[in-house]
Amino acid sequence: MIIFWILAVLLVSSAAAVVVMRSTLNSALALTFNLLVMAAAFAGLHAHFLAVVQVIIYAGAIMVLILFAVMLLNVKAERHKRHENYLLVLAMVLAVCFCGALAPLVRAGFGQPAPETAAVSGSLAAVAKLLFSDYVLLSQVSGLLIIAALAGAVMLARERRKE
Amino acid sequence: MLSYWIMLSAVLFGIGAVGVIIRRNVLVVLMCIELMLNGTNLALVSFSRFQGNLQGQVMAFFVIVVAAAEAAVGLAIIISLFRTAKSVESSDAGDLKG
Repeated sequence: MIIFWILAVLLVSSAAAVVVMRSTLNSALALTFNLLVMAAAFAGLHAHFLAVVQVIIYAGAIMVLILFAVMLLNVKAERHKRHENYLLVLAMVLAVCFCGALAPLVRAGFGQPAPETAAVSGSLAAVAKLLFSDYVLLSQVSGLLIIAALAGAVMLARERRKE
Repeated sequence: MLSYWIMLSAVLFGIGAVGVIIRRNVLVVLMCIELMLNGTNLALVSFSRFQGNLQGQVMAFFVIVVAAAEAAVGLAIIISLFRTAKSVESSDAGDLKG
């Protein structure tokens, strides 16, 4: 339980840092920290394969892409004119309402952990077995999705030659 | 116990949503979208843990795959936006605004 609270404090504070920080690079570093702590949370929830995937793909590949973009576009801090304060208030109210709608859940306090057997251990073998038997169509289609996204990204970002 | 994890995931999602609405820098908006997706993954994995099957983890795996593809395409769009608008702030890209 103490682990849950440590993880919760780290996750929420780094998420708030992503939103609040003026400099884009600081937001990116806070997000990287958030993703790594999230991988620790996955490991704590017995999702070991997913924790490794999170580190490799989310914190490793996606954050590197974002940092490349920050570096290449030479992004400075946001300018200070903030004439949309009503938007901040509205967004906060909506977020609080969203979390507040789940507050009765916390009071009810349901859900005890299920007993852990080898079949549901969250190890690579168990997840791979499921991925390639029940969800094989989804895994092949996701490969196709990645190829399509790769081709699309290259098409969008290439230099336009002025004819 | 599960309810605490779901509440945490909702808080992360809410913080990401606030960031998407408020921030004008489109790179930070993309980062907040990733935050929202991570909150969802946390909810999926905690449901999977507390129900004793792996379906939530498989779904979270596919969410990660789709998030990777979406981040790549989103960054390509940002790069091509930067070429025309010469800035990454959404308030500078108002060409279509009536």
